[in-house]
Amino acid sequence: MGLDLTYLRERFPGLHPAAISRESGTTAYQLLLPPFPDGREFKWAELRVSKGFPDNGKAFIQLSPDAVLRVPHLDSAGVLCIAGDPGPGRGYSEDERILFLLHTYLEEFLKPWLTGELDGDFEDEALNYWAIEVTRARSDTDPVRAVWTVDPPPVRARVRSGLLLVPNRIVIAADEELRITNRVVQSMGLSATQRIGVLIADIPISRALTPSTWPRSMSDLERILEGRLSSEDYSSLQMCHSRRRRGKHRVALLRNTDVALAYLLPGGPPTILELSRGKKTFPPLRKLLPLITSRLDPDWTVGRDQHPEVKARQAKHVLVLGVGALGSPLIDHLAKAGVGRISVVDADNLSSANIGRHLLGAEAIGRKKVDAIAQRINSDYPATEVIPHAMTTAEWLKKNSLGDVDAVLDFTGEPDVRVQVEQARLNHPRPLLIGWMEPYVAAAHACVLPAGQRWLQGLQDPLSDLEAVVWPDEVIRQEPGCSSRFQSYTAAAATHAVALIAECALEMIDHSGAVAAPIVKSWIRGQLFLDKHWPGLKHKEWARSASEHDGLTMLRKFP
Amino acid sequence: MSTTKSATLVNYAEQARPTRLTKSLEFAALNQTFTTNSRDGLLKKYGHWAKALGEANSHISVREEEIGAAADAYRQVAKHLAANLSWPPEAISILTQGSVSTKTLIRSPNGGEKFDIDAVCQVDITRIEATDPMKFFESTGRALEELEAQAKRRCWSIPFPNQPFYLEFTPSVPLNTVPAQTLQRMAPRYRAARYEKTALAVVDTPTRSWKTSNPAGMCQWVDDTAKRPLIRVMKMEAYTADRATASVAPVPDQTVGIADTLRVAIRLFKRHRDMCVRRGIIDVGAKPISIILVTLLTTCYEGLADLNRSFEHPVELLDELAALIPHLILKLDGKYRVDNPTVEGENFAEKWNDDNGERYRAFMTWCRALSADLKTILALTEPQAISKRVREVFGISAPIGGGNGLPTIQPPAPRATPASSGLA
Repeated sequence: MGLDLTYLRERFPGLHPAAISRESGTTAYQLLLPPFPDGREFKWAELRVSKGFPDNGKAFIQLSPDAVLRVPHLDSAGVLCIAGDPGPGRGYSEDERILFLLHTYLEEFLKPWLTGELDGDFEDEALNYWAIEVTRARSDTDPVRAVWTVDPPPVRARVRSGLLLVPNRIVIAADEELRITNRVVQSMGLSATQRIGVLIADIPISRALTPSTWPRSMSDLERILEGRLSSEDYSSLQMCHSRRRRGKHRVALLRNTDVALAYLLPGGPPTILELSRGKKTFPPLRKLLPLITSRLDPDWTVGRDQHPEVKARQAKHVLVLGVGALGSPLIDHLAKAGVGRISVVDADNLSSANIGRHLLGAEAIGRKKVDAIAQRINSDYPATEVIPHAMTTAEWLKKNSLGDVDAVLDFTGEPDVRVQVEQARLNHPRPLLIGWMEPYVAAAHACVLPAGQRWLQGLQDPLSDLEAVVWPDEVIRQEPGCSSRFQSYTAAAATHAVALIAECALEMIDHSGAVAAPIVKSWIRGQLFLDKHWPGLKHKEWARSASEHDGLTMLRKFP
Repeated sequence: MSTTKSATLVNYAEQARPTRLTKSLEFAALNQTFTTNSRDGLLKKYGHWAKALGEANSHISVREEEIGAAADAYRQVAKHLAANLSWPPEAISILTQGSVSTKTLIRSPNGGEKFDIDAVCQVDITRIEATDPMKFFESTGRALEELEAQAKRRCWSIPFPNQPFYLEFTPSVPLNTVPAQTLQRMAPRYRAARYEKTALAVVDTPTRSWKTSNPAGMCQWVDDTAKRPLIRVMKMEAYTADRATASVAPVPDQTVGIADTLRVAIRLFKRHRDMCVRRGIIDVGAKPISIILVTLLTTCYEGLADLNRSFEHPVELLDELAALIPHLILKLDGKYRVDNPTVEGENFAEKWNDDNGERYRAFMTWCRALSADLKTILALTEPQAISKRVREVFGISAPIGGGNGLPTIQPPAPRATPASSGLA
């Protein structure tokens, strides 16, 4: 590295020419600071050039530690986040990159800081600053490591019970009265083998708290607790702290939908930790411990608060028949989209030939597909509950009805199942989606039928008629019982089908109560794709427009 | 001893409140150590607090030109009303009310949040036909339709999308034009109060009935009260003497900032309340409304004046006001009362009586926080520490400036199309 300091100093005289060595091979140059008004001062600012500069490292501005959490846009180390070296690959010389950095430092940071323009900026990224506060206070032996919320902030401040999970030391800010609490705990498996009751003061806030407004001492927090909780709730929180009942941890949670801050209050039981040299007991905390929070409620995990439909989906119960290469990733999508309850019916075990195209992998070979799917989805997505039924559709329909089901998805590809479902829908009219793929996934279809719409056309199953390609007999369409000649397809090719059908399924679930016309949505690959897989394949007349494309999505009325 | 209502209230509050900070033993001890001449020392010390509080006061005050822009806007609305209502123009008059008229408008601590300009639209009911309150209220609303006015409890709120303020228009009629029977229903024990000339009837939409009000009277009352002397005059001489010796910073100029102590108290206490909401100490929906703060503080100030109390310095008076106001809330027949002193029948704390005590608790919580915070300020003696603490308590950012000598660097011109990041 060879910076032209004369060139740089001509343009920015405040750059001190003496290079200072800092940790990890970084070189620092002091920046002359202007006189600060009272309260805006910080001790120093440096231009720092990392070891690998210019190709494998960047330059940055670092401020003295006293500026962190007093001056916005600094990370925990004091590195300024709004002034950036553009980096290599932008056409700038080394000196120009430094000049650019100094320019943004002056124009976007220092001058606006001195004129007060940055004063409101803490609020915009409140959680980032809170993370700094938490990191500063954190130690390996803290009784609690984080607080997870599973429901929206309350309308009124209240004290509620929560769970401290051990050994992972996560507090869930709700108890088992909420179903999602259990699902979240289950998803943690062995890292949450013990549940310990805690008290949570759950307090809604109107604005994001910032370093100048969040409580910095127990007396600051005490004001909020005393001011916001009802006297009964406040005294129950105090009681718990009394000498007689020192058994419970107490957490204060200050939150709105955008921001949540939590504190573990002093006191509480001692913490016993399993260390490499055996168990060790740590005494109760003597001061407030700031804690990081995570939102595990479906509105956030599913849709980052941008999908109002999640709320309705949470209340839905969907029946999925068949968990093969189509059904299994479909369930994954439904869970990711926030469908509350999914009953899954399939009698098969997972075999080694499945795993190339299935949601499940080798660890589930030999297990019932539905059980392994339920285990996987239930531990991955707390917003969804999968209920496994290891049986055929016929058996399931004998024991159950569609009475409490909102929508039926049939991914079995079996004509018998389609007839059985038709019968069941006569008793309980429900919307139905039949999804299937043609060989090689040369085409895929989602047939969406509203509640009163029948599938069978008289005695005729219309599935083959709805397909896009004319298939010669040689192409094996059904997997023979013990044959390896079953034509295969890649998971990548099937992903197009999964995406198309998943979108249709969600659309149907979201509008399961509304009357809509029956439709068939299809994904059809072009002639090039057909030729690659079998000589002489042709599209049916209705699908011919797909020929010239790589693939085409088409929407038709159900006949 | 005077027996005015305010004096009685203050008398009672004086007995109920704990010892005032500035009268406490520790404080006296502090004063002793501060200087051998305790009075001069005390005044010097008050000067540091006064300076810091004065700066806070000027920071939170809304600039005259901003209020001016709002005044233009409400004159426009007035014209609009006159043009759209079928009442004769001479029957309509529009006046500001609330914090603009009492000169206690403050800036919100939440950056970019609007301030509200209250205006009362007064219609001489004897010159028009409408006597049905809802008909009257709705006709005003219809006349404001184009301005997207939204109905609130007693007023129409007009948003003004590109302005830092919104307008709240309260349709009203002069109380002396209201038939005796209606008056009897509004305020059964009505008797002519002070400022009766400006008393009004406004429409309370939830109950679909007339209610008494007196915004101009409130304004006049605050104005009259604020003028009453409570600070001993001799202090000026003491300061002048100090100045002559050039031993301390020029205090007198700085004290001017808080000489209008009643209004300063109203502004600072309102700001403190807003900060309590901001910090989550009180709930935004339960916070004590400004008119309650104005009424309590003005009552308190008036009572102190009626009782011939006097104070060494505005800071001492601020401290006294903070200590007394929690004890000025009346509870009569099980109901909280903060009566409008300028008209019978208007209880500003009406909502406190049907919320399970939530607003009362929020008020008391705020009062405790205010006293505790003032205590931390008055416990400091070092000027810089006082300024820092005052800024913290009232949520005021550090002073600005100092960047004049900074150079401007010409950034290098872009050489390549900046790489953008894709979703991943």
